[in-house]
Order: sequence, then C-alpha cells, then structure tokens
Amino acid sequence: MIKLAIKFSMALVIMLWLSGCSSAPNLAANAVPPLVDVPAPDEQLAIISGYADPWQGMNRRIYYFNAKADQYLILPLVRGYRQVTPDIVEQGISNFFNNLAEVKTFLNALLQLKPAIAAQTLGRFVVNSTIGVAGLVDVATPIGIVEQNEDFGQTLGFWGLDSGPYLVLPLLGPSSLRDATGFAFDTVAYQQAITELGIRGDDARYLNVLGAVDSRATLPFRYYASGSAFEYERLRLLYSKYREIQLAR
Amino acid sequence: MRIFSVLLFILLTGCSAKPIASSAQKPVCDLPYSPYQATVTGYCQEPMANLPHKLKVINKRITIKPLNEIPAVFWFNEQMQYSLIKQAQPAPVIFIIAGTGASFESAKMQSLQKSFYQQGMHVISLSSPTYANYIVNSSNDSLMPGDLASDAIDLYQVMQLVWAQVQAQNKVQASSFAITGYSLGGAHAAFVAHVDESLQVFNFNKVLLINPPVSLYNSVSILDQYFDLKNNRPAAVAMFEEVFTRLAQVYARQKSSNFSQGSIFNLFKDTNLSVDELRLLIGATFRMSLSDMIFALDVSYNAGTITYKNHQIGKFESLTHSMHRTSVITFIDYFEHAMLPRAQRQDASVSKAELIQRYSLHAIEDYLKSANKINVVTNADDIILQAGELTYLQQVFAERAKIFPRGGHCGNFDRQSFVDYLATQFARPSNK
Repeated sequence: MIKLAIKFSMALVIMLWLSGCSSAPNLAANAVPPLVDVPAPDEQLAIISGYADPWQGMNRRIYYFNAKADQYLILPLVRGYRQVTPDIVEQGISNFFNNLAEVKTFLNALLQLKPAIAAQTLGRFVVNSTIGVAGLVDVATPIGIVEQNEDFGQTLGFWGLDSGPYLVLPLLGPSSLRDATGFAFDTVAYQQAITELGIRGDDARYLNVLGAVDSRATLPFRYYASGSAFEYERLRLLYSKYREIQLAR
Repeated sequence: MRIFSVLLFILLTGCSAKPIASSAQKPVCDLPYSPYQATVTGYCQEPMANLPHKLKVINKRITIKPLNEIPAVFWFNEQMQYSLIKQAQPAPVIFIIAGTGASFESAKMQSLQKSFYQQGMHVISLSSPTYANYIVNSSNDSLMPGDLASDAIDLYQVMQLVWAQVQAQNKVQASSFAITGYSLGGAHAAFVAHVDESLQVFNFNKVLLINPPVSLYNSVSILDQYFDLKNNRPAAVAMFEEVFTRLAQVYARQKSSNFSQGSIFNLFKDTNLSVDELRLLIGATFRMSLSDMIFALDVSYNAGTITYKNHQIGKFESLTHSMHRTSVITFIDYFEHAMLPRAQRQDASVSKAELIQRYSLHAIEDYLKSANKINVVTNADDIILQAGELTYLQQVFAERAKIFPRGGHCGNFDRQSFVDYLATQFARPSNK
C-alpha cells in the first residue's frame, strides 16, 4: 500500500513537471499567421471546443510517448500473447478479469445509490464465480443478468464533481483529473480485493501483468490508425463525450 | 465499450460502418429505410452476403517521396501504406482505390477485399489520393488532389512501384490485371484506366466503377450542404448537440451498459434520427475527412491557409487552432481557393466552368462510351448523384451499367445482391 502511494506521488511529480511544457507554436521571425481566422468562441462547435485542455503541452507529450510505447513494447507483447494463447483461453482470461471488475462496479453502484445495478452486479459476480468457474465463463449474460459499468470516476461525477482538465495518462491514455483520481481509488480497492483473495507477492504481480495485457488485447484502438493529424483532438472529444454518456446513466 | 465504438464510428469514419457491419448478427435490421440511413448504417434491411470472416491481410509500406521531405508533424505517416491479400497460386490482380478521405483499410475497402478475394484474386488496396498518408507521401506537387487526370497519373506511378514491391517481396504472380474503386475512387479508376490505354503497363482487362460521382463538384456541393457551418452555423451546431444528447438518453435507458451484438441497430432505431440529422452525420464525417486533407495539403505546400506559413510544426505542438480554422472551409471553398488558382498557374486561361467539367466523367466520356471493359455499379438513390446524373450514367454505359434500386451511397457492399453482382463481373478463373 505504501509502495503504491509512493508510485502515485512520483507519477504526480513527473506530471506536474511536464505540465509546464508548452504546446504553443515556436514561431520564427518570418512566420506568417494563417489566412483563415479561428471562429469566434460563440461560433465554435461547442462539441469540439467545449472541453478545456490546459495541460495540453504535457498531454501531447504523453500521447506521443504512449504511441511509441504501444508500437515498440505493448503491441509486440500483445501479439506474442495472442500467438501463444488459444482464443478460448484468451476469452476465459478476459472473462476472469471482467468478473474481478464486478467488485468495482458493485461498490460504485452502492456509492451512487443505485441498488438495482448493485444487485444485478452482485448476482453476476456470484453466478460467474461459482457456476462460471471463478469467472472464466460468463454464464450470467446469456441468462439475462447483463453487464453494468460503474467506477469511482463516475461516482465522483454522480456526486457533482466536474471532470476537471483533460488528462492523458502514461500507458493508460485518455482520462481527466476526476477520472484519474477515481482510477487511483479503484486500483487501491482492487489490490485490496486481490489480497483478500489470498493472492500476494509475485502471484499478484503476474496477475496484474496478465490483466494489463488482456485489457490492451481487448481494446481495438491503434494509435494513428486514423492517419489524421487531429487524432489527439478527436480522441479528447470522444473520451469526454463517452464519459458524459456513461454518467447520464 | 460498444458505445465507444459507436462514437468512434460517428466521429472517425466517413461513409463507413465498421463496428456495425462486423458486429451484426441479426440477418436484417428493422430500421425505417432511407438512402441516408443506408449510407450511415449500411443497407441492413437486405441480408448480409456470405463473405469470409477474416482475411490474411499483409500491411505494406513503400517509400515514394524521400522521408526527410515529410513534415515532422506527420512523423506517423512516413512511407505510403497499402495492403496486399495474396492467393496461393498465380491469379488475377485487382487494385482497389478508396473513396474521398478514406484509407486502404477503411470499412468499405474491407468489404470489397472480401468479395474480390473470394473471387480468387490477389487484392491490392490503395488509399485515396485525398487521404493524408497518401498526400504527404505523394510526389505529385503540380495539381491538388481531386484533379482526376493528374491524380490518375500519380496513382499509375504508385501502382507500378507497389506492383514491383509485391512481386519482389511477396512473390505475387499475376495472370491479368483489373482495377476498381468506390465513390471518388471509382472516378479515379476510370481515369487510371484511361492512362493505362496509352502507357500500357498493366493492360487492365476489367474496370469497375462503384458508386462513382459523375461530377466531383456536384457531389461535394451536395455533401457540403448537409453540414452547413458556413451559412447556417447556429442551427447546425444545435442539431449536432441534439443528436448526441439523444444518443446519451437512449443509452441511459437501455438495460445493459454494454452493447450486445446487433443492439447498435437498436440504438440507432431508438434514437430515431430524422433525415436532416442523418444528413448532418454524413456531412460531418465528410467535413472531417476534408479537414484532414486540407491540413495535410496546407503543411505539405506551406500554403499558410490554416497553419502558419514558413513554420515547421513541432511534434508536440497544438493543432487545435488549425482544426477550428478548417471548420469554416467547405469543399467548394477548397475548389475555388486552392484547386482553381493552382490549375490557373499552369494555364491562366482555364475557367471555373472548364475545371468543373475536367473533374468529371464528362471529361473522358468518349472513352467511357467505347471501352467495353468498363462497367459501373451504383444505386438509384445514391445521395451523391444530382438530378439527371443517374440517367447520364445509364446513357454512357448502357448495358454496362448496373443500377440497384436501393442502398444509398456505398450502403450495400456486404449485401447479398451486390456481392452476387461482383461475382458475375469477376468470374473465378476456371482451374481445378
């Protein structure tokens, strides 16, 4: 737990340092401003301009780092994982981690006073952990106990906390100040749950690595597959909208 | 995560429905039909064709322009990307050219790849000359993308380099060559075939234009109006917000936070988008492709329209201001302020009307009438055709034109009747 706290504060220090970085153009003397003006704020598409990004300088650097890490480290790892594991095993592993994530959904549903969702999630967890062999098989969905999604970021939002500035997390990607805080809490709770289950030391570390590889393998996103120079902007919009839509539930 | 895919689909793809097409298990949907609906979600009222689920796609890269000439901001676009899907034995080769702003691996391309591969062909997929990766790697610096004849000459060179590469690296053996393309890529295919008549490198024995525009100018005028930020900004903005609000509401009401297979159609059904709203989505995705294209051109030519002139954009520099600036530029603006001046630099006497004519199938009408190897397939309700243009296609191509009654713009590529038609056009080579 203390180690985790140290890690988070170190990350925070590095990010604060990076947040001093600028994303403004470094113009030479002979540079000429663009011919077309930026539309006035009231004329802008609120959907595009509505999300503040004061830490853009830092965010863009981390985005770039993530794209490179994905290319040289994470995706090769995912490819290797896919090659050695049969599809059915991969599915089982995904189900297993999804089942563990029900704990998070359950707790946050309670914190948001959503007893129906909490009950449903608990039902899923019980059914899948028992009949579904420790979560390896998702038997709950076919019988109509459907998946829900709640996290501490949403809980904070539910109780009125604004998303705060947009934030790109190292390796994890798009987030916000609120959602990153929520993620830290969820992670601590998750680690606690793992410990309660008797998984400690190296076992816990292996499990975490497997969980990370699984979550990357199941996400179809590839950096710059859109080929667009505006991918950073579009993903920011997409993430922000996605969270709003989740919160509206 | 599915809602994420839906948003991604709306925001990042133009005229395509990758997450929807791939996750549809229901044979047909019960959305109310309109050509706009078919363009957005696909013509899902007709059963899906039986196509291979997954292909073994070889992603390829080729250096066309020296890499040190590519602007730093496009570090991720160094080398031109394309793909190859290879048959085990010597077979006919087909080149496919993507539509406006689309890549070699767009959802529409993937549907076509499956059909052509199933017909026993080696499939080589190229991005549109209007796609950023193509633009920043292209050595064509005389005319702007969209000038069909000039694009065709450039494409023809790229195709020769690509063909040499797949022969050398992948041992592809061709028994013959064919070319096709959808939307703007269809018009490109026609012009490339025309170039091939004189240069005779490939000697295409088959050319198929899929949902092509007749006139580039007419088609983009239609799409420009769908998302009219120029003349009707407040209304367009308000409608955009409204669509998202309704999507969020429908999502909030549904039982699971997750999307089961095929429930994306339900999302669209329950969101109950009006014709104007569907048009808005089509217009917005078109605008997004256009922004990408304009940015890539502006940077490549140091044009200074939406970026600082004489300024090398850094890797971490904010581009948000450029994106905002492009939002007020329509395709017609691009035509008048970029394509026309550039064409007039080469020939001062060329008029706007002449250029509109040049960027259309009218420019090679005699060739299209006489070349029996060229066929066209489109839909009677294709939204990019202006009044009279369907009749024009029927007149020019006569019995070589296949017109499906429904499907909007490119909405039926993975549907049974369309795939059956492709099979009649590209009969399997009769061996074993």
